Order: sequence, then structure tokens, then C-alpha cells
Amino acid sequence: MYRVTHNTLYRNSLRDIQSTAEAFARAQQQVSSGKRLQRASDDPAAAATGLRERAEIRSVDRYRQANDSVDSRLRVTDTVLSDIVTSITSAQTKAASGRSTVLTAEQREAVALEVEGAKQGIFAAINTSYRGVYLFAGADNTAPPYTKTGATVSAYQGDANVVQVDISRTSTAAITVAGDSIMQGSAGADLFETLDALATAVRAGDMPAIDAGMIELERAFNRVTAAQSGVGTTLSALPGEKARLDDLRRASDSRRSQAEEISLAEAISEMTRAQQAQEAAIAVAGTNQKTSLLDYLR
Amino acid sequence: MSLFGMLGTASRALEAQRFGLDVVGNNLANVNTPGYNRRIADLGALPPSDRYSAGRGVEVLGVRSTRDRLYDQRLYDEAPLEQQQAALADSLGLAEVALGGAGTSIDSDLAKFFDAFAELAEAPTSTTARQQVVTEGDALARSFTSMATRLNDAARATDARVREDIANINVLTSRIASLNKSIAASPASQTLHLRDQQTETLKALSGLVGTQVLELADGTAQVMTRNGRPLVMGADSYALQAVSLPPSGYAAVQAGGVDITAEVSDGHLAGLLQVRDGALPGYVAQLDTLAHGLATTVNALHASGFDASGTAGGNFFTPPTGVAGAAAAMAIDPALRADPSRLAAAGVATPGDNAIARQLANTRDTALAGGKTPDQAWTSLVYAVGSDVSRAKTEQASRADIVNHIEQVRDSVSGVSIDEEAAMMMRFQRAYQANAQFFTVIDETLQTLLSLKR
Repeated sequence: MYRVTHNTLYRNSLRDIQSTAEAFARAQQQVSSGKRLQRASDDPAAAATGLRERAEIRSVDRYRQANDSVDSRLRVTDTVLSDIVTSITSAQTKAASGRSTVLTAEQREAVALEVEGAKQGIFAAINTSYRGVYLFAGADNTAPPYTKTGATVSAYQGDANVVQVDISRTSTAAITVAGDSIMQGSAGADLFETLDALATAVRAGDMPAIDAGMIELERAFNRVTAAQSGVGTTLSALPGEKARLDDLRRASDSRRSQAEEISLAEAISEMTRAQQAQEAAIAVAGTNQKTSLLDYLR
Repeated sequence: MSLFGMLGTASRALEAQRFGLDVVGNNLANVNTPGYNRRIADLGALPPSDRYSAGRGVEVLGVRSTRDRLYDQRLYDEAPLEQQQAALADSLGLAEVALGGAGTSIDSDLAKFFDAFAELAEAPTSTTARQQVVTEGDALARSFTSMATRLNDAARATDARVREDIANINVLTSRIASLNKSIAASPASQTLHLRDQQTETLKALSGLVGTQVLELADGTAQVMTRNGRPLVMGADSYALQAVSLPPSGYAAVQAGGVDITAEVSDGHLAGLLQVRDGALPGYVAQLDTLAHGLATTVNALHASGFDASGTAGGNFFTPPTGVAGAAAAMAIDPALRADPSRLAAAGVATPGDNAIARQLANTRDTALAGGKTPDQAWTSLVYAVGSDVSRAKTEQASRADIVNHIEQVRDSVSGVSIDEEAAMMMRFQRAYQANAQFFTVIDETLQTLLSLKR
């Protein structure tokens, strides 16, 4: 026969009260903090998952921000390229109207001035800086890509590199453009020199030179629109990239939440259960030896 | 038997029942005394003096305590295992708290550090972005040093507890020795209370360090460590010494000048030693590997770049002298801290380039020495600590169940039950009343006999 002693009863009651109180306290903390894990040891594997997913979320967030910043820069670049296209088109139109033997010297001068005006516009556009970066200076983007002494525009001052930004683990986007690739490309003279020569030719009424200038303008036009469509392609890929990143983030966040957070309904019912267990343990301890043989001894 | 003889029987019987009540009283008085074993009054019937006698009544044989050596021995064996896990869980718990929660510790500092580089990559010429990288780098280095400090503090705190344990072991062994001395000097019937104390003290000692306990015929206990180093022999106790050893200055356990640190395999002390010499240095080593890998990788990349003025990049972090201590010594290069324009973001000598900043930002996904990315290395450290603590807690709970069960069974044998004592009390009281009645009857019978003569 198993003898039940005074100590057995008290030790057991105390132990049960302690362990149910501990369970209740843990359940309560889970509900009040909303966290399933208070410490890594509560569930080491889940804690590791939580950390992994947090790191993933941080890097996805970072790429998401890079996407936004690339987006705004490329929009500026796109606008500037449009301006340049407009200027080139206007120069082409004017030069075409200047390719006529019936014009007076004054009229030719007016056309030449228009061509020079287009050059001014292109000069201003190509020197656009956005957030401290000259967009068309390649990697050497702390100074304007082209400078001007009097009416003469300098050669390209930037470099041939472009600044790339990572917009996901696997893809990058260029946020600067090497200006000479659109101003000159493989041509013998850059767009400014072409326009200067064209203005001179218009003034002089030199038809073959105007023709040559028109051909060069056409090539420049092609270069700029090609660059613009490149930018457009990158821009149009960004929303897809962002959506992918958002999906990744959602997936990571739900994994993190599963690992670290509680389901409130479950946690509350768990807490209620723990509370009942604790109350029962306390109630039982209260009835310990409430009746004793001593009560019946007179 | 003569009537006068029967008077003697009655008085011996009264004496015996009174003795029984005495034992009950003693049991009840000690119902809450730790280690007290229930006493039983041993009574024996006296043989008849001749064939015309039923017997000479009862005599008190003595008092004995109800004890099962098996359970005591099981306790001495199980207590060290339970206490070892308790020490592990407690002390590792300190390290776990030191690691901090997810999103508030090195994990978030790493993320901010790499984010700062990514922002710099978007605006390599921005002084704000440069300053931010330097600030985050500084914060990361400080996180590493303070984490290393906290882990080393935990090791030092554990060392202090090792010294405490050794002091407690010495107190207990000398108490057992003096109990041995008293037990040996008195007759067995007088030493029941000393034996109770002895058991209790041995149990406490076994919790601190695993022991072999040998109880000798005279009731004294010989205590040795698991490896046979004497702790208590008769009335002599052999103290353990805590000797500070270089280079850490942590205490080594010595017995009679011999280093027995490696021999301590169970008990609270063993748990502490495991934490101090095994687990915590292991965590620090993991942290060092991460710090070293990160600092050297970042430095190598940084040195391959060019700063804002086109000069080749220098160090980003102060170069670590070795893997050991790398976390504690981690610091951002002082020249860089003073002048963020020295930050090498460019891969070519043009200030607007961002090639190196990009590569540094991508270090977050780069496997460092050891084959893990910085985040993975940190996660595996957190996992290691968490699973160590969790394992120790689980193990402790199951060991505690075993100890609890043994104590329960032991209680069942040795514990005082109030109901039982009440029944005994009633038994002795009734017996006393009956014997007193018997005494009265004999007395009256004698009166009758004496009155015959009148």
C-alpha cells in the first residue's frame, strides 16, 4: 500500500500550483505581448525561422526602396530625353526650311538662330542633375558632362561608365547615362558640333553641308530615341519587379508571423485553459486534509 | 503471576503506552522537519516468568526510524543529474537574454549596416549617405563589442557561481564529517536525528557534485567524488579549492593540489563548468568568427575602391588581429570615422561611381569565412543558444520528475502521516486508559484480598 503522507500532499499541491501558475503566466504573456516566442529557447527552430525571414524582409524592403528611387530617376531621364528629341526635331524642321535657295540672308540668319536655340536646349537638358547626380555624365557625375566657353560647348567631360543600382538580388538598373553615347555615339562629331556646323551651313547657304548636317541630326535622333526606349523598357519592368518583391515580402512576413506570433483566439483559449488548471490546482490544495482523523477524536 | 506482579505489568504497560504517545508526539512535532524519518516505537511482549503466568506484560524495545536506504541512494544518484541541468538552464539563460530579441539585436544592426551601403550606392556622392554608413558601421561594431562583453560577463558571473559552489561543497563536507564524528561517538539509538541530518546533507552535497556515498556499519558515511577523490572520510573532510588560473583567471577545481576540473562530470558544479568552459566560449567563438569574417570581407572590398577624392580606400574596420577576440575588438577605422569622405564607394577613381558600395551592400548575401552569410551566422548563434537552453530545460524537467518521484516514494516510506499519527495517538491513549483500568482492577482486587483478614 502506498502511504500518503503530509509531505506528499503538500509537496504535490505546491508543485502543481507552481507548474500551473507557470503555464498560466506564459499563456498570459503570449496573449498580452502577441508573441509566441519570448525567448529563442521557447522554440529555437521557430526563432531561427523568424530571424531568417526578418533578414529577408529587410533586404526585400531595401530593394523595394531602390526600385522607387530608380523609378523617379528614370522618369526624369525619360523626360530629359524627350526634351532632347523635341529639340532635335525642331532643329531638323528648321534646317529643312533653311535648305532653300530662295531665302534671304536675314531669313537664313533666323533659321541659323533657331538651330542654335535647339543646341541651347539640348545643352541645358544634357546637363540635368537630379538629387546631386548629373544624369548624363556616366559615373563621373559630380560635375556637368558638358561645359560651355562662349558659344562653344566642350567635349564630353563625364566617363563611359554608368552607375548601376541593384533593384533585386538578380537585376540591376542603370541610373545614369554616359552622355557621349547619345550625343556622339560612333559619329565623327558630337551633336553640338553638328548643330554648330549646320547653323554655319545655313548661314552660308551651303546645301551639301546642310544635307550632311541633316543626316547627322537623323542619326542623333535615332541614338536618343534608342536610349529613350531603353529607359522605357527598364521603367516598364519596374512595376513587375515591385510586385514580385511585394509577393516575396508577404510570403516572408507570413512565415515570420507564423514562427513568432500567436493566433489570438488559440492563445486566449489556451490562457483560459491554463487559468482553469491553476484555479483547480489551488482549489484542490485548499481541500488537502481538510478532514482529518483528528476531527473525529474527542 | 502474583497480584503484585500484575501491578508491575500494569505499570510497565502504562509506561509503554506513554512511550508510544511520546513517539507520536515527536513525529507530529517533526511533521515539517526536512529529512525527518518517521519514528516507530518498538514494543515487545515479555516472556512469562513461569508456567503459571501468561506473561510479564510489555517492554519498550526502543525507537527506530523508517528509512529505505535504496531511495536515499537513488536520490544521491539522481540529484546531481537534475541539478546539473538546472545549472545549465539558469546560466545559459543569462547568455540567451544577453543575445537580445529578434529585431533589436545584431540582426537589425547588420540589416541597417547593409541598408546604409545600399543607400550610398544610390547616391554615392551624398555626404548624408556617407555619414549614415559610418554611423551604422560604428553602431554595428559597438553591438559586436557589447555582445562579446555581455557573453564574457556571463562567463565571469558563472565563474563566481563556481566559486560559490565549491565553498558550499566544503561547508557540506565538513558538516558531514562532524556528523560522522557525533554519530560514531554515540550509541545508534541516540543518533537517529543525526542520521536524518546526514541524509539531508548528503542529498544537498550530491546536488552540487556527483558523489559516491558509502554508509559504514557504525552509521557514518564515506563520501568520494565519482572519480574516487575523497571528500569525507570518517571525521575528516577534504576541502576542494578554487584556484584562479591564467589566462582567464577562472577558478579551477583542485582536490589536494590536483586539478580535477575535467573530472567533475555531474552535479550543479559540473553544469556551471560546462557553461563557463564549454558553452559560453563556444558562443563567443561563433560571434568572433562572424565579426572577423565581416570585418575582413568589408575591409578587403573597401580597400579595393576609391573614396570621394579619388584616393584608394583604406580600412573600414580596424583590421582584426585574429579570429579570437575579433568581436570584442571590433571598431570602425578612426580616420574613416573622423572623415566620411574617405569612405570608398567607387570602383574607379571617379566620385560618382558606386561599384564598391553596391558590392558592400551585397555582402549581406555573401558567404563569409565559415560558409554562412552574416545573417545566417547570427541566426545559427541564436539557434545554438536557444536550443541549448531549451534542451537543458527539458532535461531538467524530466530529471526533476524522477527526483520528485523518488522523494514521493521515500516519503511514502519515511514521511509522517497526520492521520496515521492520530490513529496511533488514539491507539496509545485507549491502551493507556485500558491499562489504567486494569491497574484499578488489580488495586481493587488487592483491597478485597487485604480486607479478608479483618
